[in-house]
Order: sequence, then structure tokens, then C-alpha cells
Amino acid sequence: MNRKVYIRSLCCLGADDPDFRELFSVLEARRMSRLLKRAVWTSVHALKDGGINLPDAIITATDFGCIEQSEAFLKALKGLDGAVFRPTHFMQSTHNTISSLIAIRLGCHGYNVTYSHRGRSFDSALLDAWMQLSLGDIDTALVGWFDETTPLFSRLVPQARERAFSLLLTTNPNGALAELASPDLADLRPFLAMYAPELTID
Amino acid sequence: MIPPVYITGTGVLCSAGSDRQALWESLTKGTRGIGPVRILDTDLRDFPVGEVPLTDAQLRQRAGAAEGLSRTSLMGILAVGEALSQAGLTDLKEIPLVSGTTVGGMDLTEKTFPDYSVSHDCGASTDAIAAHFGGTRATTVSTACSSAANALILGANLIRSGRADIVVAGGSECLTSFHLHGFHSLMILDPQPCRPFDIRRAGLNLGEGAAFLVLESEASVKGRKINPLARLAGFGNACDAFHQTASSENGEGAFLAMSKALEMASLLPGDISYVNAHGTGTPNNDASESAALRRVFGNRIPPVSSTKAYTGHTTSASGSIEAVISVLCLQHQALPGQPAPLEPDPACILPLTGPLQGPVDHVLCNSFGFGGNDTSLLFSACR
Repeated sequence: MNRKVYIRSLCCLGADDPDFRELFSVLEARRMSRLLKRAVWTSVHALKDGGINLPDAIITATDFGCIEQSEAFLKALKGLDGAVFRPTHFMQSTHNTISSLIAIRLGCHGYNVTYSHRGRSFDSALLDAWMQLSLGDIDTALVGWFDETTPLFSRLVPQARERAFSLLLTTNPNGALAELASPDLADLRPFLAMYAPELTID
Repeated sequence: MIPPVYITGTGVLCSAGSDRQALWESLTKGTRGIGPVRILDTDLRDFPVGEVPLTDAQLRQRAGAAEGLSRTSLMGILAVGEALSQAGLTDLKEIPLVSGTTVGGMDLTEKTFPDYSVSHDCGASTDAIAAHFGGTRATTVSTACSSAANALILGANLIRSGRADIVVAGGSECLTSFHLHGFHSLMILDPQPCRPFDIRRAGLNLGEGAAFLVLESEASVKGRKINPLARLAGFGNACDAFHQTASSENGEGAFLAMSKALEMASLLPGDISYVNAHGTGTPNNDASESAALRRVFGNRIPPVSSTKAYTGHTTSASGSIEAVISVLCLQHQALPGQPAPLEPDPACILPLTGPLQGPVDHVLCNSFGFGGNDTSLLFSACR
């Protein structure tokens, strides 16, 4: 089977945060890092705009993962700044915490995976979604690209970028914004420049 | 049925064996690779681990690798080398590499933090493995303890979609003080050698290692005139969507992953000869996985065992290490049981203790990660 793949909707955040109170209670918001809140936000809004409640797959890219929480746990490990070991920091330091939190929020039991391979993370997520859609394994996929940085990390890794971007793909041409003719990010760039100008791509 | 995805090479390195032959001997003789911390630089020394008994310098020398690589990359290079050699291949120049890792180069970071560098992340650790074999096409899957199993799914889909004829996929993960403390903070480390599915179980033993499999299309296997070792007949990935670190009581994600794998392979539960369980030894995982196994198999549960009793929980690498064990079961027509004696838990399935001779036709291999990233792989014998 070689089905065509279409872009149904997308949501992208710039440097400013939206009003998270629309989605999270004060208590929920306090337990989640900013990156997680932004990721759930773009996921929920991309699905809402696309008129799809539950995607068949959640496929997530993160170039460098959850740096803020990793640094917090590393500070405890090295005895810096009086930091102590907190299980929440460890839990939220794993790269897949973003994708799994989106699944928990949506109640989505479908395919769920995370790619973390620097500048090629989103290419891999797009390729995974595109193959499964065209093979007929799934009909819809929520593909996300989420990154954060910290003052320390920005100093060490100048190419690190902040990102919160969700793209809803389907095999249904009705109401599509565009066809995704290939899984190559290069081919998607003109579309992204028009629809998600806030998104930074190296 | 999916178009055939063949396995033509396997390579592995872990505390229970420095290659596939040594690992199989440990599993069948009941030799456990669990012991006190010897090599890892950590202040947390009260818990047994499954540590590869080689220093970084020894690994580097054995691999003939460059200076400055993470332990994750060094172990990965050794496992990829063994897999390529079995498949009659020499390099990754034309072959994509898919690796699963979460720790990546954290072993380097935790030595130098707050100074650390871009060369310590997951992608860098995979690129270093690929570069050692002349490869330029690589990516990294990071779904915690199911990373390597999901790397194998991406590899299989590259072959199913005709985008590659041969893919090397698996995972690598070294021990670090970072995640040893992390699992300790979650209070799921057993101060004794782990006891999966045993009523006395009190957690997991953290392990380390790497394993890679050569996946190949039917056309490539015929073209190269080689005999495949086994077939990846099906796979299922589902999300438990329950909690960031705990599994649901009824094992929904695990149930869905196993069910999807069976459906893709057009097999029935009764066709399965053996389940290599995720079986970490934590009270929560083993009860949840048992609930899922009972839902899939009813009262006709095939032999099940957790080989983590021998290797420790090798986290991101466990999916591919246990995939190699599953292929070895099909090749040797035998099953590894857990160490005896074992005190049964009514809340759990009763695992196999001691080795068992075949026939072994189809093996299910479970890997579950934080966040409910649950994956089941189904391997079939080539007859």
C-alpha cells in the first residue's frame, strides 16, 4: 500500500507563552516544566484545529531533550547550589516524558515514540509517521518537535533552540492544508516558512 | 502478514556475556551477571548492578575506537561489530543505523558537569557508533526502557516501505551515577539480586550493555545468498497512558502491544512458544505485566521468563539484548529459565525456572518504558 499523506493542521508557539490556565489547573501547572506545558498546548490545539480527538500515533522529536530537569538532577549529583535528588526531576529528565505526557493528557493508547538525534530528530519523526501512514498502519499521526534551552546549555551549545511545534498528518485529503509528498524536511520548508514562521530550523 | 523482515546478524555485550555465545552459556548454565559496583564511579554502592566487567580503556582497546567516546558508544561499537560480522558485512557505508538510548553520553557529562558539551547527547553517541563503521545515516530512538525495541520497529518499517534493504538496529546504554540515583530516588532498586515475578521481589538491578541486529529484506537475503537466523514477524507499540513512571493495574499498554504484534504476524496466542518478559523485578511492573499476559493468553500461558535476572535491567538496551536472546532461543530450540528457587506470587504469572528444551517456533519479547511506552516484538523461526 502506498497511500498519500496530507497535513491537516498545525500549531506553533514562539518565544511567548500562551495563557496556560486554559488547559491546566494551578496545581497541574506547578508540577510540569514549561517545555511540557508548551508541548501539551500545541498538541491539543493542533488536534482541535484538525477536528480530530485522538490520533492513531504520537511521534515526538526533541533535539536535546529535557535539559532543565536534567541539569537540576545533575546539580544534586554534583552537590551544587544545595540541590537535592527529586524523583520528579529524574522522571521529567527522560526524553520521552514529553510524548508520554501528551498521551496521558489525551488518553491516547496508540503508537508512541520519541526521536532524539540533534538536528535530525524531526526528520526521523516525520519519516516514521510518513512510512506508517503510507503503509496503511495508521490513518492519523500527531508529529511534534519540542526543545528548550537553559543559560548554561546555551553557553555550551549555541545551536540549541527553543521550540514547540505540532503537526497533524492524515491520509484523508478532505480539509487538508497541503499534501506531504515526501518525508524530507527540506521539501516541507516552504510550507513551514508560510504556516509556522516562528519555528526555528537550522 | 507483513512482508518478511529477516534477521541475519546479532551482536550483544552485557554483564552476563561479552558476546552472544557467552551470553547463551550464562543463560543456560544459570550464571548471573549481577554483583557489586566495581567500575562505575558513584557514591551509591549499596545496590547490586549488572556491570560489564571492562573499564572504558579496555572497551576502547577491544573496539579499536577513538579517544573521548562515551561508554555507550564503545559498547555499541562492539555489539554492531559482532552483528555485522555474523551477517557477512563489514561496514555501515550503505546501511542506516538506528540506535536506542536515553543515557547517551551522560557518563561523560556527569564527570565534568557543570562543564559539558554537545558531544554528550544521545545523537552524538549514535553518530560515533555509525562513524566507527564509516556510516553517515543514523538516528536515535529514546523511549526510556523500550528504546531499542522501538529502534527495531523503525528499522523494520524502513525495510517494509522499501526505503532500505539492510538496516542495523538496536540500542546501547552504559551505567551512570545519574540514573542509578534516579532509580534510587524512585525507590525501585532491589538491595539483593533481582527476583522477577517472585513474591519477595523488591525492585530492579540496574545493568548496562548493547545489542544490535541486522535486519534485511527478502530480496537482499536472496541476492546475498545467505541463510537468515530468524524473522521479525510482527510488532506492536502502544502507550499505557496511565502515569509517568508507573504501569496500570490491568496492563493496558502491554496488552495492546502484545495483541498488535500477534495480529500483525497473523498468529494466535496459542502459537507462541515463549515470552521473554520485561520482568524488571519491581512490584508494579511484574504485577501489571502478569495482568496483561493473563488477558492475552487466558489460562494457557506459554513459558515466560525474565532474563533480567541474569543481565540486570539494561534500560534502553534491554529491548535489543532480549531480542538477541529471543533469536538465540529460536536457533538453539531451547528456553532460558529464571534462577531457582522462586517463591510464587498469586498476583503474578509463574515464570519458568531452569532451562527447557524446544520446540520453539514463535517468541514474544516485551519491553516497557517510563511513560507507558510499551512495545512487544514477535520473532519466528525460519524453516
